[in-house]
Amino acid sequence: MVGQRRVAPFVALAVAAVVAGLFVVFAGSTPSTDETAETPLMDRPAPEAVGQLGDGATFDLARRKGDWVVINFFQSSCIPCQQEHPDLQEFVAQQAALPDGAKFYTVVYDDDRANVEAFFSQEGGDWPVVYDEDGSIAVAFGVSKVPETWIIDPDGVVRGRVISRVSADYLGAQLQRLREGR
Amino acid sequence: MSGRLSRRWPLWGALVFVLVGFLAVGATRTDGPSTPEERASGIEARIACPVCQGESVLESRNTASESIRNRVGELVDEGDLTDDEIIGVIESSYGGRILLVPRASGFDALVWALPVAALICAVSALALTFRRWKREAAAEGDPTDEDRALVAAALASEDDAPPAERDR
Repeated sequence: MVGQRRVAPFVALAVAAVVAGLFVVFAGSTPSTDETAETPLMDRPAPEAVGQLGDGATFDLARRKGDWVVINFFQSSCIPCQQEHPDLQEFVAQQAALPDGAKFYTVVYDDDRANVEAFFSQEGGDWPVVYDEDGSIAVAFGVSKVPETWIIDPDGVVRGRVISRVSADYLGAQLQRLREGR
Repeated sequence: MSGRLSRRWPLWGALVFVLVGFLAVGATRTDGPSTPEERASGIEARIACPVCQGESVLESRNTASESIRNRVGELVDEGDLTDDEIIGVIESSYGGRILLVPRASGFDALVWALPVAALICAVSALALTFRRWKREAAAEGDPTDEDRALVAAALASEDDAPPAERDR
């Protein structure tokens, strides 16, 4: 009985220490609201991505090495995709004015070609659109919701991922930071 | 009675052995998938739907799961990779959150190790407590004459009490 009384405070102290430790860990952890989402693909070679462009030609990401590439996963009925469209137009215009501006591609995620074409003819945007009919590009990049925007450097390495709506300023600043960091 | 039992125990032992053996074989034996579709389904059942809670891509009907099912189907048809390697391909894009059953390595191993560690601690604590109780009981020794007298007096006073009081 005396032994029990001796041990009990230490057990209680150990339990309290564990609970306090968990509290500190959980309270100090950063909520996952960062614009750039973590991905196992970060700083690794971009996965194989082959699809069909709107004009029927084949899009192969591996053949775009040498340029900064930005790909945006899109669906015409997705509200954040619609909302970010003017920003993407601004971003594409900014990049076109630069000597080493990024090449921008929209990858269509689970949408009909007619809907996409109608959206672009109404809202504008003359960059290449890639149709990912079987969803293989989305799976290769681990995309499960749209919009998502990925930045790939001239060596074909993944350098950035932005989930949800993105602004032209943020995307431009990210790209500039990455260019300067090379 | 006990002689009859002791003569029969090898029979009972053999029966239990056979029963446990059949149960073990029945519970662990798998024929393996007989078609590529069955194999793909087995793999899909181990991959979590990336946009649902606790649902596999086999069960989920959303676009992301459908795309993953397509990819798994392609890889199964190619026939170059094992089931674990195919799951690894999907994991390399989506990360560890895509695994419905955590791996038994690295940080994820805690999921398996912690319950086992807790069980071992609990059983050890019980064993130590029982041992202490046994030691304490043994330390008290056999009842002394004084103890016996006390018990006898208590029983006698109980017998002397009126029935109504005893029943209370």
